[in-house]
Amino acid sequence: MKMVFSRKQLGIPYALFLILFVVAPLFVIIYYAFTNGSGQFTISNLTDFFTNPNTLGTLCYSFVLAFTTTCVCLLIAYPVAYILARSEWKAKSIILMIFITPMWINFTLRITALKEILTLFEKNLAYFPFLNSVIGMSYDFLPFMILPLYTTLTKLDQSLIEASCDLGAGPVQSFLRVTLPLSTPGIISGVSMVFLPAMTNYVVLDMLYNSTYIMGSLIGSYFSAYDWNNGSMIALVLLAIICIFTFFGNNADEDSQARGGAML
Amino acid sequence: MMEFYNAIKKENNLSLRFCDIKNKEKNMSFRFCDIKNKEKNVSFRFCATKNKENKLSYIFNIKNNRKRNMRFRRFAIICMMIVLAGMTTYQTGPECVMAKDDDVVTLRVCNWEEYIDEGGWGEDETISLSEKDIIGENPMYEDFEEWYYDTYHQKVKVEYSCFGTNEELYNMLTLGNEYDIVCPSEYMIMKLMAEDMLVPFSEGFFDETIEENYYIKGVSPFIRNAFETNEINGEPWSKYAAGYMWGITGIIYNPEEVSTEEASTWKIMTNEKFHRRITIKDNVRDAFFGAVGAVKADKLTSDSFINDPDYTKDLAEEMNDLSPETLEMVLAYLQETRDNVYSFETDSGKADMISGKVVAGYQWSGDAVYAMDQAQADDFYLNFAVPKESTNLYFDGWVMLKNGIKDDAKKQHAAEAFINYISMPENVVRNMYYIGYTSVISGGDSDEVFDYLNYCYGVEEEEEDVVEYPLGYFFSGEADDTDYIILTQKEQVDRQLGAQYPSQETMERSAIMRYFDADENVAVNRMWIDVRCYNVKNVPVYVWIIIVISLIVAAVFLIRGKIVAKSMKK
Repeated sequence: MKMVFSRKQLGIPYALFLILFVVAPLFVIIYYAFTNGSGQFTISNLTDFFTNPNTLGTLCYSFVLAFTTTCVCLLIAYPVAYILARSEWKAKSIILMIFITPMWINFTLRITALKEILTLFEKNLAYFPFLNSVIGMSYDFLPFMILPLYTTLTKLDQSLIEASCDLGAGPVQSFLRVTLPLSTPGIISGVSMVFLPAMTNYVVLDMLYNSTYIMGSLIGSYFSAYDWNNGSMIALVLLAIICIFTFFGNNADEDSQARGGAML
Repeated sequence: MMEFYNAIKKENNLSLRFCDIKNKEKNMSFRFCDIKNKEKNVSFRFCATKNKENKLSYIFNIKNNRKRNMRFRRFAIICMMIVLAGMTTYQTGPECVMAKDDDVVTLRVCNWEEYIDEGGWGEDETISLSEKDIIGENPMYEDFEEWYYDTYHQKVKVEYSCFGTNEELYNMLTLGNEYDIVCPSEYMIMKLMAEDMLVPFSEGFFDETIEENYYIKGVSPFIRNAFETNEINGEPWSKYAAGYMWGITGIIYNPEEVSTEEASTWKIMTNEKFHRRITIKDNVRDAFFGAVGAVKADKLTSDSFINDPDYTKDLAEEMNDLSPETLEMVLAYLQETRDNVYSFETDSGKADMISGKVVAGYQWSGDAVYAMDQAQADDFYLNFAVPKESTNLYFDGWVMLKNGIKDDAKKQHAAEAFINYISMPENVVRNMYYIGYTSVISGGDSDEVFDYLNYCYGVEEEEEDVVEYPLGYFFSGEADDTDYIILTQKEQVDRQLGAQYPSQETMERSAIMRYFDADENVAVNRMWIDVRCYNVKNVPVYVWIIIVISLIVAAVFLIRGKIVAKSMKK
């Protein structure tokens, strides 16, 4: 039979990549998560996770850290993206570039520099581990928040805002009832790009001398104690949490668009 | 004869290549030898033949591209001598094997990062000892390939790779990576021994009469004793492991802020005076050792304990105590430590010490030497103290792996020769200079290692504040050996010299830490997680109340929003 080239075949490399490096390792993780050291099936790893006050505490700590980081990022990024998107400057893209450029520098380098700057202000970093971690992570993840927000806000139809003004809404009201709901997709993709990595990025914590473990370092500590089973289970639980978030995110996304549309 | 030949070869900067060809039909074999001096651009070719009666005959075939002058003639004579020497071993040498071109032994070596001389020294880094000048030009494993061929006429190719932590190495091995010879720390050696993953050394390795056995001839009596008296499953370490570098743990401190007294105890970790100005190692074994020392301080320093005849044995037992009660005390101590220290560090401690961010830190002696050297370059002086309770004596050692060697005698020979080569006093000095750690080799008959110490720390008698620092226990096994006393500046006892070669008195309170078996490992790791994780029970009640209220509010808004949206659609 003659081989016919179709567009579908272009997807083969990616499918291979997906199977080899995403799906296959996932099965390995699942295998380890549900077996014990001698290879027998068990769910004790799962029950351990939810009964051990330390793993739960780590989950909470990571959650709070990630949540704070996300809020800080959002509070900084939204005004920037909004102003940039609405402005008529010609140099707009250059200013945007300035916000993105730090991403091109390796993040360990940036954090090392940040460490010295923070030491100037705080004298001794060890007194403010949580604050430093939030600053470090926000610094690291800010571009990931600005970019999606900027993209959604530039695409926003200007006539919708004009319409709301014509119908008697003040600037605050039109922002809250039109711009904000319509930019929800941007917020959601920004949040998911900041929140989820912030739960596991323990390198920032290590470098800024926060000695409390978060999810990433907890997995690492199990692996260095040759306990692959519990480590895999934590990774799996984290994956489940991510899935739940993504699912709700998508739902809210559709929801808000429906609401935004309905309000018009 | 071989020595003479090697010496001449080195002196005249010659490179040699041997090539063996066998003609089976005529029952004759040929050995070609090309000698080259790169600078002068002259080369010779010689050929030796051997017939069935094993009779040797030589053919000198001189090919050169230079005018013959006096210098050249001298060179030719030297070459002839070398070749005669090299070719004679062809007939008589027991290790003489007919090497074919495709017959190359591959030796897969896995070592810590930056843990062998990788060459490339500048001219000014040459170490001039009384006997010879030492400089590292090429990576040592490449020098080994050349040396091995010159000595045993067998080509060997070293595949050199690195690992970051013992656990990483272990995981690599269990995942099926194959290495022939690796260099883990003592507890990992114990674990590998217990799991029967190692190949014992051959008998020839321990024969002190063989000239090339530099390891067994040169290893320090002190280290040798430790390797012979420590056993796993009834077998001494020395059967499977050859030491490489060793050291102790202690406290590096800034003498302007911390007194020697304060630094000489593990309890400094919870000393409120240095609140958030002290670092601790971020790994469970080191943290555990320091904490045990601190919680048992009273017992360990009591006279009755120290003067007990079984002191050494008791100390090792106390420091390896993994009973639930001890673990509980250690946990409490480490939690207190966590709230007092600047950081748990894996690598940043040295830099923070030098930059003055912290005033003291838990440190390995080798890293402490590095930090003191770096600080000294900025005219900033740091000291090293060994806690009075106990200090952790640790080693890194070479072991051969079963799944790599696979009963291949040639490979094992090459692996053992590798250990011997890096234990050559000259190479020991190269490694020590490059890495900064202390080698287990004291040099045996050769004084090169001791000369190097004198070169680094020795001073003339006339200078002020000079003290005698005896190191007989390490170099000859006799504590009061007058041959091994260094005259050094008084401060050096608390600085680099004291960290690199601790005094005998210090070593008497050293203990080796065992590996943790599977159950102990789980318990210790649980303790460690307890130290490092945020415990959910510590969340204050008002936080829970706030969370519940905000969840209810969010739910109400969500439902209201849905109802509004639905009604609007209608």
